[in-house]
Amino acid sequence: MASAYVHVPFCAQKCSYCAFFSEPSSGETINRYVTALIREFELLAADLKPQTIFFGGGTPSLLNLWQWEQILTAMDRLNLLGAAEWTVECNPATISLDKAKLLRSAGVSRLSMGVQSLNEALLERLGRVHTREMAFKSFDILRQAGFENLNLDLMFAIPGQTLEDWRETLGEAVAMGSEHLSSYEVIYEDDTPLFAQLKAGEADVNEDLACIMYEELVARATKAGFWQYEVANFAKRKLAGEVAKSTKLPDFACRHNVNYWRGGSFYGLGPSATSYVQGVRMKNWSNTQLYCEQLEGGKQAIESQEKLSPLARAGETAAFGLRMVAGWPFEEFRQVTGYDLHREWEKEIGELVRQGWGQVEPESFHLTRQGLRFADAAAEMFLR
Amino acid sequence: MDAAHIRNFSIIAHIDHGKTTLSDRLLHRTGTITTREMEDQLLDSMDLEKERGITIKAHPVTMRYKARNGESYELNLIDTPGHVDFSYEVSRSLSACEGALLIVDAAQGVEAQTVANMHLAMKQNLTIVPVINKIDLPHADVPQAKRQLEDILAIAGDLAILASAKEGIGIDEILEAIVERIPPPKPTGAPSLQALGFDSYFDTYKGVVTHVRVFNGELKPGMLVKLFHSGKNVEIKEVGSFNPKPYVREKLEVGETGYMTANIKSPQEVKMGDTITDARHPSPALAGFKEIHPMVFSGIYPINTADYEHLKANLAKLQLNDSAFVYQAETSVALGFGFRCGFLGLLHLEIVQERLRREYGMDIIATYPSVIYQITLTDGTVKPVDNPAYLPEPTYIGKIEEPVVKAFVICPNEYIGDMMALITEKRGTVDHTETLDSRRVMLTSLLPLNEILIDFHDRIKSITRGYGSMDYEYAGYRESDMVKLDMLVNSEAVDAFSCIVHRDKAEGRGRALAAKLKEVIPRQQYAVAIQAAIGGKVVARETVGALRKDVTAKCYGGDVTRKRKLLEKQKEGKKRMKSFGSVNIPQEAFIEVLKA
Repeated sequence: MASAYVHVPFCAQKCSYCAFFSEPSSGETINRYVTALIREFELLAADLKPQTIFFGGGTPSLLNLWQWEQILTAMDRLNLLGAAEWTVECNPATISLDKAKLLRSAGVSRLSMGVQSLNEALLERLGRVHTREMAFKSFDILRQAGFENLNLDLMFAIPGQTLEDWRETLGEAVAMGSEHLSSYEVIYEDDTPLFAQLKAGEADVNEDLACIMYEELVARATKAGFWQYEVANFAKRKLAGEVAKSTKLPDFACRHNVNYWRGGSFYGLGPSATSYVQGVRMKNWSNTQLYCEQLEGGKQAIESQEKLSPLARAGETAAFGLRMVAGWPFEEFRQVTGYDLHREWEKEIGELVRQGWGQVEPESFHLTRQGLRFADAAAEMFLR
Repeated sequence: MDAAHIRNFSIIAHIDHGKTTLSDRLLHRTGTITTREMEDQLLDSMDLEKERGITIKAHPVTMRYKARNGESYELNLIDTPGHVDFSYEVSRSLSACEGALLIVDAAQGVEAQTVANMHLAMKQNLTIVPVINKIDLPHADVPQAKRQLEDILAIAGDLAILASAKEGIGIDEILEAIVERIPPPKPTGAPSLQALGFDSYFDTYKGVVTHVRVFNGELKPGMLVKLFHSGKNVEIKEVGSFNPKPYVREKLEVGETGYMTANIKSPQEVKMGDTITDARHPSPALAGFKEIHPMVFSGIYPINTADYEHLKANLAKLQLNDSAFVYQAETSVALGFGFRCGFLGLLHLEIVQERLRREYGMDIIATYPSVIYQITLTDGTVKPVDNPAYLPEPTYIGKIEEPVVKAFVICPNEYIGDMMALITEKRGTVDHTETLDSRRVMLTSLLPLNEILIDFHDRIKSITRGYGSMDYEYAGYRESDMVKLDMLVNSEAVDAFSCIVHRDKAEGRGRALAAKLKEVIPRQQYAVAIQAAIGGKVVARETVGALRKDVTAKCYGGDVTRKRKLLEKQKEGKKRMKSFGSVNIPQEAFIEVLKA
C-alpha cells in the first residue's frame, strides 16, 4: 500500500475560508477521537504498508503531546512507521519545540505550515489565530527540531489584499528558506464566512489582480530556486540544475500528493477522509461522534463508496494528472489505467494543442503554461 | 314565458366597482340562490377571476322575480367578460340584451373601463340603468358621481339608483327598474327560428354547450338547426337555462336565454356571434357577426424541453373553453420547440399564461409579445406579419402599418404632466382632455398597440400611485416607421430576441437588451461580442470578456470526487446549451432576459 492520509478534524478556531470538515476542539472529544483513530489503524493495519503518510486537517498540531504519543506508539506497534515521506500539517500557533521533537523522533520527515499570509490585517480577515511573529518563530522551532523538509502554505487574492501586500508576503516567505511552497488563490466555498461576505458584497473578486498575483508567485518562486511541478505547488532541488528526467519532479516534491494526481491508491483515516483502493473510492462519515461510535463498535466508519467503470476512472485519472506540470507520460498512464491516453483522447488532445493549451512530446502529453491556467476546462474534456 | 314578461340585461362596470357582489345580491333577492349559496363571487368560478376581480368566462343566469305590479317576470342576467380585450365577446353578450345596469362606484366615480364598456353598450342601443353603488362608504360622493354620469357619459344623473350591494341597499329598486325601464324582447318578424350563440364552454359528456338567446321562433330538442356562419347543420339534443347551475327545459322561446347542446365536438365549429336558424326554413342571419382574430402574439415555450407534449395537450384543453385563443407549433433556435400563440389582447395573454402556470402547473417562458403588422410589399401585395422572423427584407417593403388603440386614461390632476410624458414616450398623441371632477381628468389618446403591450398599465399605476386607470378600444391601423431589431451573439442572430420596433425606439431597446445579455451570458474562454443590429447596421455593442483562468486552486485526493462531479455536471450542462457560433449559452440565460 502506497499512501495513508489521516484527517484530524479539530481547530482552535474555524478560518473564514475553510470548508474542510473540522470542529472546535474539546479535550474529551479529542481523546475519544484518538482512541477511535487507533482502532481504525488496527482494522486496516494488515493492508497498510504506507510509503507516504500525511496528517492533515483541521489542525493536527492541535493534538497535545500525550495524544500524539498514543498515536505514535500504536503506529509503532502496528508496524506502520518507516514511511519514506511523512508529513504533518501544523499551524504556527500550535507547534512547540517538544511536540516538534516528538514528531521528528517518530519519523515524521516533513512539516507543512499553514502561514497563509504575513500581513497582520489579512490574517485577521482570514480568521487565522496566529500572528506573523508566530510564523517566523514556529519556523525556527521546526528547524531547531531537525526538520529538513518544510512547506509553507500561502494564500493570495485575499479580499483587501493589494499586489504590494502579496509581494511583501511572498518576499518574506521565500526568504524563510523552506524546501517547498504551496500557494493558492482564495476559494470562495459555500458555507464559509468568506463566501457569505462575497455574497453580501463585502468582498469582491478581481480576476485580473488574481492573475497578476499568480504570475508574481511563479516568477518570485522560480527566482528563489523553486521548481513548479503542479498548479499550486513548488519545490526545490537538492542540487542546482535540471530536475530528474524520468519523473520531471523536483527532489522536494510532495510524494504523497503526487500519488493523488497520478491516480495511485491511498487509504484515508479519520472523519470525512477519502480512500481510493483498487478502483473503489470510499468516504468516512463527516461527523466525529458518528465516526467514533462506529469504530467503538468495531466497524469502519464508511459513509459512502463509489466504483467507477475503468474508462471513467481512466478519464478522471487523466483529468487530474494534467494538473502536474509534467503532464502524463504515456507509458505511466497506460500502466496505471490500462488505456492509451493518446488514442482514447486523441480528439481532446488535438483540440488542446490547437488552442495552445496542450503540448504533445515524444513520450508524454502536458498542458502548457497557459493551459495550466485552464486546467479545469481541460479536465472536463477528459472525463468520460 | 311570454316575451312581455322577459327581461334580458347585463351589468357593466369598472373592476372592483361591485359588479359581482351586485349579481350575487340579485340572485339572492330573487330566491335563485339561498343565503347559504351566496358565497362570494358565485359567478366567477376560476381562482384567477376572483383574484383579479374580472370575469373571464360568464354564464347567463335566469331568475324569477315577482314585481310590485304583482306579475312574475323571467330576468336573464347575461354576464360579460369585464375587459375590452374581450370586447367582441362583450358586444356579443350585450347584443343578447335589451338593457344594461351601469355601475359606478360612489367613492371612485367613473373610471376608464366604465367609459370603454359604456361605448360598447351604446353601440348596441341598450337601455342603460345607471346604478351608483357603495353609497355606504364614508368617502361616497353621490352628487359627484351623478355629475360625472351626465358630463362624461351623457346619462341623466337623476335616473341613477342609489345602492349598496354589500349592504343590500337599493336592490329592490334595481329589480323594479329592470322590469319597468328595460324593454321586453320583441320578435324580429322573420319566418322561423333566429337565435344568437354568444358564448360556449366544453363539457366532457355533452360536448360544446352553446349559450344562446332566442330572438325569433323557438328552440327545442330534436330540431335540425343550421349554424349560419359555420355552415353546419346539427340536431339539438338538449336546451336549458342556468340558475346558476344548468337545468334542462322543454324549449327556449322568443326572448329567452339559456343553452343548447348538439353533439358538437369542437368549439371551433360554433363561432362566437353565429346565428342559429331552422335548417329546413332558414331565416336571415342576425346582424353583427364578425370573425374574431387575435391581436397579440407571443411564443410560449416549456422551460423544460421535455414538457413539450405536455404543454401541447394543455394548450388544447385551454382552447376548448377559449375559442379566441389560437396556437400553432413553432421552433426557436434559442428556446427549442414551442408554440406561437395568438390572444385577443394583453389581459387575455396574461390570463392564458397564468392559467398554464397555475391550473396546469406548467413551467413556461413567453417571448416578447408582438402585434400584427400589415406589410405592403413593393409589388403591392399586403402581408400580415406577427412574428419578426417573417418580416421581409427592407428592400421588399413598401410600407408597414401598425395597429393603434384609442385609450382612455383617467388620472388625478397632479399627475397629468407625467401622464402626457408617458403617452408621448409611448409614441401616442392626446386627442382631448376632459375634467371629470375637481381632482381627476380623462385623457383620450391614440397609441400604438405594441407600445402598451409591456409595461404601460404598470407605469400608469406607478405614476399615479395606483389612482390612475386605463382602458382602450382598437382603432385600426396607421403607417409607421417600423424596423426589425436583431440581437447578435458573435455575429449570429438569436431569434428569441428579434423584435419589430419603431425606428426611434430600436437603438434604446437594442442597448438595453445587449446590456442585459451581457449580464447573463457566462464568460467563455474567448471574448463574446453581443450586438444589436437594425438591418445590417450595428447600433449597440457589448463584450463579454474572456475568462482569464479556469482552474481550481487546490485539488488533492479528498477533493477529486467532488470536483469530478462538478465538472461532469458542467459538461452535461453544456450539452443542453444552445450554440451560437462558437459560443455556448445556457437556455436559462435566455429565460432570464425574457423574464426581465
